[in-house]
Amino acid sequence: MTQIETPKVVKKKLFSPIWLLPLIALALGAWLGIKSIRESGVEVRIHFPSATGIDVGKTLVRYQGLTVGKVVDISIDDQLQGVYVDLLMDYRSTPFLRDETKFWLVTPKASITGVEGLDALFSGNYIAIQPGEGDYKNEFTAEDQAPPVAPGSDGLMIELTSPSLGSLDVGSQVFYRQIPVGKIVSYRLVNDDSILFNAYIEKKYAHLVKQDSRFWNVSGLALDASLSGIKVKTESLSAILAGGVSFSSQSSSEQANVNQTFTIFEDKEHALGGISFSLTADDADSLSTGADIVYRGITIGQITHTQLTESGVTFDANIATQYAELLGTDSQFWLEGADLSLSGIKHASRLVTGNVVAFMPGSGEHQASYPLLAKAPQHTQPPLLLSLSAEENPGISAGAEVRYKQLPIGQVDGVEFKPDFSGLAYRIQIWPEFAKLIHQGSYFVAESALAIDASLDGIKVNTRDLSTLTKGAISLMQGRSKKAVNPERSLPLFANAKQAEGYLAKQSRLKIVLASPDGAGLAAHSPIYYKKMQIGEVQGVNWRASSEDFAIELGIDKQFASLVKPSTIFWRNGALSVDASLNGVKLDVAPLEGALKGSVSLGLLDKDDIGNQSHLYGSETLARAKATPISIVFDASTRLSAHAPIRYQGHQIGQVERVKLSQDLHSVSVDAYLYGDYAAPFLADDAQYFIVDANISLSGITAAETLITGPYVSVLPGESGNIVHDFMGSVESPALLAQDALTFTLVDDNLGSVKIGTPIIFRGIKIGEVKQVQLSSTGTQVEMTAQVASGYRHLINQSSQFWDLSGIKVDLGLFSGAQIETGSLETIIAGGIGVATQSATTEQNRIGQHQIFSLQPKLDPDWLKWAPNQQSLH
Amino acid sequence: MSKLSRPPQGESLGLTNCPTCKFLCHLDQGSCPRCGQAVQSRDRTSVQKSWALLITAAILLFPANLYPITIMTSQGQVRQDTIFSGINHLVHLDLLPIAIILFTASILVPMLKIFGLALYLTAISYRLPISKKTLMAGFHIIEWIGRWSMLDLFVISITAALINMGQIWDAKPAPAATAFALVILLTQLAAKVLDTRLLWDRLESKDDTN
Repeated sequence: MTQIETPKVVKKKLFSPIWLLPLIALALGAWLGIKSIRESGVEVRIHFPSATGIDVGKTLVRYQGLTVGKVVDISIDDQLQGVYVDLLMDYRSTPFLRDETKFWLVTPKASITGVEGLDALFSGNYIAIQPGEGDYKNEFTAEDQAPPVAPGSDGLMIELTSPSLGSLDVGSQVFYRQIPVGKIVSYRLVNDDSILFNAYIEKKYAHLVKQDSRFWNVSGLALDASLSGIKVKTESLSAILAGGVSFSSQSSSEQANVNQTFTIFEDKEHALGGISFSLTADDADSLSTGADIVYRGITIGQITHTQLTESGVTFDANIATQYAELLGTDSQFWLEGADLSLSGIKHASRLVTGNVVAFMPGSGEHQASYPLLAKAPQHTQPPLLLSLSAEENPGISAGAEVRYKQLPIGQVDGVEFKPDFSGLAYRIQIWPEFAKLIHQGSYFVAESALAIDASLDGIKVNTRDLSTLTKGAISLMQGRSKKAVNPERSLPLFANAKQAEGYLAKQSRLKIVLASPDGAGLAAHSPIYYKKMQIGEVQGVNWRASSEDFAIELGIDKQFASLVKPSTIFWRNGALSVDASLNGVKLDVAPLEGALKGSVSLGLLDKDDIGNQSHLYGSETLARAKATPISIVFDASTRLSAHAPIRYQGHQIGQVERVKLSQDLHSVSVDAYLYGDYAAPFLADDAQYFIVDANISLSGITAAETLITGPYVSVLPGESGNIVHDFMGSVESPALLAQDALTFTLVDDNLGSVKIGTPIIFRGIKIGEVKQVQLSSTGTQVEMTAQVASGYRHLINQSSQFWDLSGIKVDLGLFSGAQIETGSLETIIAGGIGVATQSATTEQNRIGQHQIFSLQPKLDPDWLKWAPNQQSLH
Repeated sequence: MSKLSRPPQGESLGLTNCPTCKFLCHLDQGSCPRCGQAVQSRDRTSVQKSWALLITAAILLFPANLYPITIMTSQGQVRQDTIFSGINHLVHLDLLPIAIILFTASILVPMLKIFGLALYLTAISYRLPISKKTLMAGFHIIEWIGRWSMLDLFVISITAALINMGQIWDAKPAPAATAFALVILLTQLAAKVLDTRLLWDRLESKDDTN
């Protein structure tokens, strides 16, 4: 172990790197020190009236919510008038500390208008700062309250002046059309006699404030109680409690300047202003401050001040802006009070409220002063005098108002009869300013204070004011014509609007006169329908003595006039028409109004048919059939009733409309229709009308249906070309004396069982019958006219024997025994005449026109053996 | 006491402990045969290391006391406390015992420690008129009490963790806390890095003067 190790040379370091550590710390400390000195902040001293709510070390200084400093000390000032609050401001706030910089204490404040400084509730009070201009400064006096403009908001600041605070306060809202647009931020007394408010208008509403905006106080409730009622006005609940200011602006004006000063008016009316002038009078005569200035019943202004002068009384008056143009150089003012007269009390409220100033507008520039007249002046321009005519007085008396759209435009001067007593004439005057409302087409309608219009449409009640009730009133209605009125001509006055409407409608209606045998249940205003739509109305029903019928005047509304043409027909409507037949029942109900009043229908025939436009048909059927009216005179014994049909060969060709007994009681006159299609042959003057009635006999029943339907009229067509409309009818049917039938006469002592219709029997076959029975002129015999059908005429000649077949003949002989002779059963019951002919008919033994045979009472048995070979003769 | 009566020092025998594994090495070997660590009988550089750390701690003592150590937010109100204002606050709240503890742990101890260490470091380099017994007692006190300075930081870290309710109630450590922690750390390090044998050597050598 002798090896010697090489010695390690260890260099002794002069400084260990550990010494860097204190150097770093030193550098760090120095930097921190310099920094903290640099950022140590600025001491600021602020004078506060009191230190309430300020704590050393706790109370911070904030700008826009950022803490920029804090209170470091509080000390009482030398005069013991307040405290100095020392603030240590952040070094960065140094640029804010200038002459106009404002400090104030923010404390939480809850009021009606809102909660302010809510943040201060948690963080405690703080001092707010609002930077300003000027030189650097570090001693300040604190503001009493937040400066007008909240920092950072750039709305419009305006100033408002008012003689009194009212109920306004800081925080009271500023309204525009009831929208809160800003608020009062401060107020102070200036010059000891007015209060200057600073109001802040939010930026988005700033443009609403114009150079000439008017502000008025809307604080609390505006209660306007008068006899006319109670008016309560308020802007909003907060305005009631906390007060408020409202304003209005002319949209055309320039926008208001910053800090422009406006006046706060007492109320809106004052704010909107008006025209002020004075009225002079000798005495006040119960006219007091606050009295209304009234024009045509509308309050347009007020007396604002009353004062005594050497020469009398001067009233300061003010007229609202919107009525300003009524005021002119020649405007007149006069006193008006309650009007007590026999016709009633007018303006009763004025007995309590005092007189008002009535006003007459003028033209030109308004004056500063007007005389106040004691009485209403006469109108300077003459009123328009008119005459109105009415059928009767609808309750209008002199003094009644003439109105247009319920505004008075004149009055009724008097009412008198027309010279011919055909109606009434009213003298009215229209005030000159309304003269141009009257035209030639104008008409007047009486106003009724209470109009109850009960109709099928319902009940309508219209009421008007009291004066209408006492004096009546008439309303002007504008007609179609716009031509200037001729004062000489009188204008119509109607009792009500409906009458007027009717009158106007009448003017333009198409008039048609219909003849009707009766009034048809119609009256004026009965409606006229076309396809159940009213197209006009009946204007009148008049009796025409000359033609013994009714003239029914129809008025067809203009727009339906084209319905009246050659094919038009009219008929009256039944309220209910039931068309019952074996085919079914058709029920037709007329419109209710028409059913009650009676109504007329208009109908149109097929295109080419020509209708009768001057006749009112009884029913649609008649009308459609173009029925021709005829009149038939029958014996008074006729049992005919209305609506009995007129028939030809069993077919209905017409209908009885009416049956009336003549004055001499001997005849009935029957008005009937013949259906147009068949009328012609039945209008001939030799057409025969007779009654068909049921005839019950042993030989049978004729016209059995009439037992149920009643007798009807039967007709035989005529052949002559003479057309007549009046006929004599017969009760008996004319004998159907066929031209080619063989007619002869049978005579007997006694009629026996022969009667009309008794058959003439040849070899048991009926070949004819007895048509007529009558006494001979001498009265000794009975003549029976018999007729034999032409087909059998050759069976009868001069050798013919006739005997009575009636009944049963029993011939009792002692030796011959009993012989019973009967005909057919029919002849046993109904009787009959037997006939037998001995020789064949030749030219020589033909019977003549009026051949008379004797009716043998008994059959000679030999006759029955006669059997000539009869050849039909032609 | 005579010089001879004392037991021989390792240095005088050319022996020393390895600073790392405490292996008894020969000084002339240069490095520890077991762990290879360089060995020397006395670490003369430890004095200036200790000085450096101590001076750093002393410098940091200023921000630690001047700057706020906590930021407390209570109902929106922010309160910044330095160590001293915190103690002051406790005194105002009539919590005197706690204030005393806090004062001792946070102000007195770090300062005493720095002062004491500075004293010992001076004593190593220079002869000071302090008895060996006093110095020894003081050294033990400093070593024992030094760790209690961390109390403040524990309190801060616990409150910061527990009290965290935003605007209502909040506690956060402020810059001074870092500085304070560094002061504590550096003083501890300064005490740790110092080769205390140097002090004993000095005390031995001047023993006769006492």
